Amino acid sequence: MEFLNGLVFLTNFVVVPALAYGAQLAIGALGVTLVYAILRFSNFAHGDTMAFGTAVTIKVTAVLVALGVSLGPLPTALLALPVGIIATGLLLLGTDWLVYKFYREQKAKPVILVIVSLGVMFVMNGLTRVFIGVRDIQFADGARFVMTVRQFKDWTGLDEGLAIRTTQAITLVTAAITVAALFWFLNKTRTGKSMRAFSDNEDLALLSGIDPDRVVRVTWLIVAALATIAGVLYGLDKSFKAFTYFQLLLPIFAAAIVGGIGNPVGAIAGGFLIAFAEVTVTYPLKKVLTYWLPDGMGPDGLVQLLSGDYKFAVSFMILLIVLLFKPTGLFKGQNI
Amino acid sequence: MSESPYQDDRGNNDRSITKSGGGTAQPVKHGHSSPAPGTPFLIGEAMTGGYGKGPDILHCCTIAVEPGEIAVIVGPNGAGKSTAMKAMFGMLDVRSGRVMLDGEDITSLSPQQRVVKGMGFVPQTHNIFTSLTVEENLEMGAFIRRDDFRETMAQIYDLFPILKEKRLQPAGELSGGQRQQVAVGRALMTKPKVLMLDEPTAGVSPIVMDELFDRIIEVARTGIPILMVEQNARQALEIADKAYVLVQGANAHTGTGKELLADPEVRRSFLGG
Repeated sequence: MEFLNGLVFLTNFVVVPALAYGAQLAIGALGVTLVYAILRFSNFAHGDTMAFGTAVTIKVTAVLVALGVSLGPLPTALLALPVGIIATGLLLLGTDWLVYKFYREQKAKPVILVIVSLGVMFVMNGLTRVFIGVRDIQFADGARFVMTVRQFKDWTGLDEGLAIRTTQAITLVTAAITVAALFWFLNKTRTGKSMRAFSDNEDLALLSGIDPDRVVRVTWLIVAALATIAGVLYGLDKSFKAFTYFQLLLPIFAAAIVGGIGNPVGAIAGGFLIAFAEVTVTYPLKKVLTYWLPDGMGPDGLVQLLSGDYKFAVSFMILLIVLLFKPTGLFKGQNI
Repeated sequence: MSESPYQDDRGNNDRSITKSGGGTAQPVKHGHSSPAPGTPFLIGEAMTGGYGKGPDILHCCTIAVEPGEIAVIVGPNGAGKSTAMKAMFGMLDVRSGRVMLDGEDITSLSPQQRVVKGMGFVPQTHNIFTSLTVEENLEMGAFIRRDDFRETMAQIYDLFPILKEKRLQPAGELSGGQRQQVAVGRALMTKPKVLMLDEPTAGVSPIVMDELFDRIIEVARTGIPILMVEQNARQALEIADKAYVLVQGANAHTGTGKELLADPEVRRSFLGG
């Protein structure tokens, strides 16, 4: 019973939040990794792309709510999500036409494109703030919980409870559908295969008659969808704030690089790894250890290894260790 | 290389095969073909040209292939063998001379346009998609085809049975000889009118080399004319219906493979006696 209580406590405060956060990072990292694999640069504007997509979704959600539209227990934002994706897709295609296309035609080195994306990042950052402001915005509506602590306790009779919030469940389900759809697209469709071929050997792809402009367009549209989905899921689960999304860039890049940048499977694994590391290290584990260790041996302190304010240090540390010892990442990614 | 401040430093450094303009060669830009009846099936006629603004490498060089033939280009290092083939494929712009395929002047077509016209080209290196499976490599080879290409794929599996066995494996995991078979198979997927191979046996062991030559003969028996650049002059001449010995970018000797093998001068100069 002691062990089960400890396990439930750990699941409630560490495993479930980390799973949801990991899924959000994974979808974000998939976008970064796709840009890296196909357009061959690290897109620093990805965090702000997520912010823009989420901001549009929030505005549309507000309109829908004002019109009295609702999804019942599900958040209305899910209805607004496709609009957010389309708007972000148009923004990215416009950015590509206005900015990246020039450098692509010059055959610019990846490092130049990275700095270009940094500029794009600042512009998108400003755009989003002008559009929706800098405040913290909560836009989740519908039912709050799939399962509450009380329901769980009544059902199992344990001392500790396990709550699953609707947004967490939605995150995991949406992430699973998104990832399955992406892998199906990349591995089974003609366009998806041509994108992988282009990423593998650009010259041979051109020789085979693959249209590079089309590959680039489709890539940006998929990246727009991934960024908006990741951003909306994160915003539903926590809250939306333009600056927070900018900061998300670090764990997202850490996730992509840890898994092996350019490798979609790696991005997913990396997302969950970073999320679990971050949540475990910054959560006080005293209660779990008290349950699990023999009586009297429970720790006196909180066993919180790092204050929550330092959570970005976790991503940084993992990033540094991976880049020092295994620069291609856990899965076979491309070299940076 | 290029003076562009944005110059790229990745991928196959032979940018010329895609006419990007960032590399050393000046590939042909998109253009139009014109009819040229009464010429050999594929001929690069009196080609003169070189890389970029550099000196001429080819000097009035002529290479021709007739249907059902295996033609090989041999010669010492730096003789311009690969350059001659690249010129015929449009990877570098010839300064004079013309290239004709099946009664059409294709001198002003880009490499991609020539693929559509029926040229199959296998580069010497980076000639497969390593992270794609063997089957996906073949599918990408057929990218320009909108019809059902399963029959062609089945023919290629008959020609290269090992590929059928390994069709679900990433091509990058195969051995050198198997990778070359994937590369040739990829080029055959467009049902080309002529197949051009740039040193198909480079870097494989002698046993694998013999097997590759056998396979190339089998491909030729299906009726596709083959033009091939080869380092291993003796074996290449043995299977050649027509052979060109290039020296310093010009035709030195031309004849059937057997004639050249018997020619004392060719033997002394290139075959070691």
